[in-house]
Amino acid sequence: MSFSDATAAVSDELAARDDIIICDSVDKWYGDFQALKGVSATIKEREVVVVLGPSGSGKSTWIRCINRLEQHQSGRIIVDGVELTNDTRNIEKIRSEVGMVFQQFNLFPHLSVIDNISLAPLWVRKRPRAEAERLASDLLERVGIPEQAEKFPGQLSGGQQQRVAIARALAMEPRIMLFDEPTSALDPEMIKEVLDVMKELAVGGMTMMVVTHEMGFAREVADRVIFMESGEIVEAGTPEHFFTDPQEDRTKLFLSQIL
Amino acid sequence: MTDTQPSLQLAATAKPPFYRDATFVKWLVQVATLVVTLFAIGFLAREAGDSLRAKSIQTGFGFLDVDPAISLGEGIDTDPATGGRALWVGMVNTIRMAAAGIVLATILGTLIGIGRLSSNWLVAKLASGFIEYMRNIPLLVHIILFFVTIAVVFPDFGENVDPVTGEVTQGPWNGVIHVSNKGFSVPRVHIEDGFYQWLIIVVIGCFAARWISRQRRITRDQTGNETYPLISALGVVAAFGAIGWFIHPIFGFVGDLLFAPIRDLIDATPPNLVQLLLCVVAIIAAGLWIKGFFDARRTPGDSAKLTDDDWFRVIFAGFAAATACVVFLVLWPGLSSWLVNSSRDLFDVLANKFGEGRGNIGDDPPFGVSMPDIEKRGNFANMGPAGLNLTQGFAAVFFGVVLYTAAFVAEIVRGGILAVPKGQTEAALAVGLRRSTMLRRVILPQAFRVSLPPLGNQYLNLTKNTSLAIAVGYTDVVQVGQTIFNQTGRSLEVFIIWMLFYLACSLTISVVVNFFNVRLKIVER
Amino acid sequence: MSSELEHLARGTAELIANADEREAEDAASRPDEPSLPPLQWLKVNLFSSVLNTALTIVFGLAGVLAYQRLLNWAFSHERNWDAVRVNMRALFTFTYPSSQYGRIWVTLGIVLTLAGLSLGLSRMVGQGVSLKRISIWCMAWGGAVIAGIVLVQPHAKRSADGEILLDADFEPVRESFGTAMADRGWWWLIGVLLLATGLAIWVILGDLKRRKTFVGAIPFTLGVLAFAVSTLWWFHWGNYGQQGDIIEPGRTVKDSAKLPWTAMWFVLTGAYLVGRRISATDRAASVRVVVNLSWLLAPFITFWVILRDPQIDYAHVMSTDLPMALGFMIGGGALLFFLTKPDLGEIGRILGVGLFGIAIFNWVAAFFGIYPMLQKARISFLLLALVALAAHNFAGERAQRLRFVYAWAAVMAILHYLVTMINAPSTVDAPDEFVGGFLVTVYIAVFTMIFSFPLGVLLALGRTSTLPIFRVLSTIYIETVRGVPFITILFFFSTFLNIFLPDGMEIEQLAAAGLGFALFSAAYLAENIRGGLQAVRRGQYEASDALGLSTVQRTGFIVLPQALRVSIPPLVGATISTFKETSLLAIIGIIDFLRVANSVIPGQTVFLGVRMEGLLFVCMIYWIGAYSMSKFSQRLERHLGVGEN
Repeated sequence: MSFSDATAAVSDELAARDDIIICDSVDKWYGDFQALKGVSATIKEREVVVVLGPSGSGKSTWIRCINRLEQHQSGRIIVDGVELTNDTRNIEKIRSEVGMVFQQFNLFPHLSVIDNISLAPLWVRKRPRAEAERLASDLLERVGIPEQAEKFPGQLSGGQQQRVAIARALAMEPRIMLFDEPTSALDPEMIKEVLDVMKELAVGGMTMMVVTHEMGFAREVADRVIFMESGEIVEAGTPEHFFTDPQEDRTKLFLSQIL
Repeated sequence: MTDTQPSLQLAATAKPPFYRDATFVKWLVQVATLVVTLFAIGFLAREAGDSLRAKSIQTGFGFLDVDPAISLGEGIDTDPATGGRALWVGMVNTIRMAAAGIVLATILGTLIGIGRLSSNWLVAKLASGFIEYMRNIPLLVHIILFFVTIAVVFPDFGENVDPVTGEVTQGPWNGVIHVSNKGFSVPRVHIEDGFYQWLIIVVIGCFAARWISRQRRITRDQTGNETYPLISALGVVAAFGAIGWFIHPIFGFVGDLLFAPIRDLIDATPPNLVQLLLCVVAIIAAGLWIKGFFDARRTPGDSAKLTDDDWFRVIFAGFAAATACVVFLVLWPGLSSWLVNSSRDLFDVLANKFGEGRGNIGDDPPFGVSMPDIEKRGNFANMGPAGLNLTQGFAAVFFGVVLYTAAFVAEIVRGGILAVPKGQTEAALAVGLRRSTMLRRVILPQAFRVSLPPLGNQYLNLTKNTSLAIAVGYTDVVQVGQTIFNQTGRSLEVFIIWMLFYLACSLTISVVVNFFNVRLKIVER
Repeated sequence: MSSELEHLARGTAELIANADEREAEDAASRPDEPSLPPLQWLKVNLFSSVLNTALTIVFGLAGVLAYQRLLNWAFSHERNWDAVRVNMRALFTFTYPSSQYGRIWVTLGIVLTLAGLSLGLSRMVGQGVSLKRISIWCMAWGGAVIAGIVLVQPHAKRSADGEILLDADFEPVRESFGTAMADRGWWWLIGVLLLATGLAIWVILGDLKRRKTFVGAIPFTLGVLAFAVSTLWWFHWGNYGQQGDIIEPGRTVKDSAKLPWTAMWFVLTGAYLVGRRISATDRAASVRVVVNLSWLLAPFITFWVILRDPQIDYAHVMSTDLPMALGFMIGGGALLFFLTKPDLGEIGRILGVGLFGIAIFNWVAAFFGIYPMLQKARISFLLLALVALAAHNFAGERAQRLRFVYAWAAVMAILHYLVTMINAPSTVDAPDEFVGGFLVTVYIAVFTMIFSFPLGVLLALGRTSTLPIFRVLSTIYIETVRGVPFITILFFFSTFLNIFLPDGMEIEQLAAAGLGFALFSAAYLAENIRGGLQAVRRGQYEASDALGLSTVQRTGFIVLPQALRVSIPPLVGATISTFKETSLLAIIGIIDFLRVANSVIPGQTVFLGVRMEGLLFVCMIYWIGAYSMSKFSQRLERHLGVGEN
């Protein structure tokens, strides 16, 4: 099954939007292990895509290729009309367009919460300090923890840290947000607070690619679900379609194991 | 897959201008740094050459073959015939001190480290007092203090003169152990001509012992009876050594039949062939490296995918090989004949050593003992060359270095023992191990694993620290080197020899420590 | 830039504050055991088993014997402790002229002011010393003194003209035991007083109170120092002192030193109180930054300006130095203001590379003698080019750019001021180098740390870099330097360095040795910092990349602050090593602390051959310095919580 079928399976309204991420037969090797095998997909503007798959299936590698934390070896990746190549200017541009949230939060432990968030607007976007700090407090408000501004990451709970991480990514005013298993390192009682923030973002019209194991989130929020295994896209479709009527045997096996 | 997406029909991937190409910029910066560094080194070398010429200072390693006209205080040869020999004596002195120092510092340090953890308050306090005293005072000060102390505390050499015969005696046990302000003298055990053949027998004995201990271990594991594998192995080696004492000359043929032909073969090798061989080795090494690179990048069913970055590396490897070839063939053609000559000399020495003492069973013991003697020149008595002499300088450096290092070793050992989690003790006691067994089988192996890398570091430090011998005039490699360059002015050359010697020592120690480190790690898995 | 520093400083301060809380928690969670009664304590700690009892007896006897030997040796009539007392100035400052000694006191005053301020501003205030420990110390010292009085052999008798009386075997005639004990009245008083104080604290307070009452560590130290300084006013301290090179009977050390030392104590205490005062206000963070920067500047200013007393040629300053400094400050500032424009794009970088190329060419041209140029201008230009290359990382709003420019101008002003001072000839009337003795030890150690630190950071970054050539170059450097003994490197620099320099360029031996120290120590620092860099998790790099930070920004804002924090304890360790290694200066012929004791004093006609006394004094000073630094490092380590998580 190829991605064009997958796109066809979603609504006409979605199909009519502009493409924002285009991947065309992307390959990626680690030594002689091929992590991505000809991955092709198109993400539309304001679309929420959830990428599912067993561990080691290449989902994380894929989204890390999209903001060039990993370098793909062949194929093309075009983000917001800019192709990812060796061109330093393109890399800079894309990194400031694409926000990323990590499984381990990766907050900067030596900076306070407010400094964590205002660092990139200040030094990358070259905003005045006052403006950057105002933006940071607005974002903290938005993720629901305005009172933690002066604290340090080590003093926050996992859920709060992840929300700060989301705010930090949003501070760059990105057009696309990538989430790499954002809830996997969290205690169960904290997952919801992070998912709520993400839902709110999705409702607000952010283009999102989410690697997650939260099936509830996928069903409720995703416009499209992509299932990967062994570095290939196996199946893609709307959540209803995907969860109720999977086509491929591998998808069925995966769903039976996980649900 | 047919592709109908309109946005994919963008213009073909445009190559960015070179100054924005990440790979290019990366390599440009690196190559520029390399060029600047090489330029700076070349410039300094040129300046050095100029000013040496201007001061009409001769350069070159010729002094190694010339009589240095110096006599050394102690060592395997106190009156060296050439500068090279003198440096070699210094190197042997350094190695001797370092080797003995490492052994003693390890033993002492371990004892003190355990002492610091003792439940006896007094022992723990004394141990920590010793550690704090040693490591917070510069080693050089320790060495000078020891040097002065020896002169002050011990009796003057040659104090006891028989008023009738004029014969000098020295306490505390005349002719066996002499202790004085000049240092200490004890009987020396030295190797004799038969040693090398005897060594062959002992090596065979080691193999036999290894086989036997393995057999005994298997028996123990199968039957559960204690078979004392280690003790029997030691016994076998001892037995071989004892028998070898009497029959070793039967191995005299090794020199003639094994080493002499190799020597002749090397002697017959033309240097040009060696040059070619060196080039071939360089090219093969680069080739293997590049091949390994391609293999690592090879994908199943596909050819290698090399990024620009990889290409730069490949070009670099090729370039390095080419440079090496140029060096071997053009810039330094003498290297090959030097290699030929020195390996011929090596095998010549081996052929002689292993050939000696042949046929006279019982005549040439592997070892001999010589007792300390007293040398009297005019009114001044001094330690004679026969005994194993620890001169004042040697003793000062040795005790300084050993005690100083022991303090650091003690801290490492203590840290290693403390690093073993408490749970290990509890678990070991819970499965019913006795306390001593637990220490031996559970705690110490784990502590040793933690301690080994920093211990290796301390051994390196100890070896380097022996160079402070120069402060008290012990003839180690630095002291000899300094004397030579003061006389000949060949300062740079001596410095290069120092550097190579110490780097070789460091490398040897690192390799040995790493060997054990790797072995321990494998055990861990 | 400076605001950024302040920001980071605030962050670090917060971290340390967190550590404070953590430590408090630790202390609270630790079970607080009441102390055992003395007899039970002895049983548990010394006589718990047969083996332990045997060990205690053997080591106890050995200890007592060694103590007796040591005291007999130290108080023997053969010892000449005057060699140390009279040579106090020689040991510490060697031949620094007495007429200009005020400069030494000013230098010490600056250092103590900064130390006091830092102590006062420091948040690293632990619990202090418990009365229980003070009591034990008092009793232990009192006991040791009394034991010493009893153990030391009676003094040798002297004849009327001060000669030692000898018996038939040429052994000195000694007093009777009873007379000896009676003669030691002052010592008895000290011993009994100490013991009584200790016992009194112990008995009166009771277990809980003496464990729970603390005296702050700093007030306690200040108290001890006050006592030490006050002894200068009422204790004799030796038989004669030294004025210049003349030894004057009757004039003791205290006569020349009691006033300055008293002033020093007040300076330290006053600065500490001021620091405390400020630390309570909200300006504490910025004052802390200022004090830290002053620490960095103090060695340069005190050494080259205060101690060296340069003779400034004002005509030259007006015609060359000042215009050049202003040129670099204003011209360079304007250039940097332009280069930090947010939307400048590639032009800025190309300009930076061009400038850098010209700067490198400047040096090449200098070596080949193509055109002359002042070394100062060449260095400033290279600095400007380097800063210009990195300028785009610091682009931002106008206020921020201005701060960047001000920082540049300040650095230039200080640099040019210092270089002018260094170039001016010294007016200090000292026969050899104007510094010697302990002064040279301290300054070499301090300058080594200052200069080797940036180099160490660069080498560590190079060694952990993903770029292979940087990695190989750094590794070769680090491993070569670490593979050879320091003394050979020191020989290399002190004897061969001038061979490598171009014609007409000469370098003093002390400076050459200092360069050797810095280059050597950089390799070791690099390894320590590498450890810190490896402790920074991969995720930190990824997060910075994902935010779009440039490599310079990532390294400067994210990686180094975290790596250096982890490296602080090993860096203090490296400082201790450097401090101890300065003793090697004695081997290459520089008159440092050790050489004064080992060669200079035994060479004086009055003290011919007196060597042990000076060496022991050197031991003591080195020990105090290294031990207090290592204690500080342990404290810091606990504070930073390294090794806990």
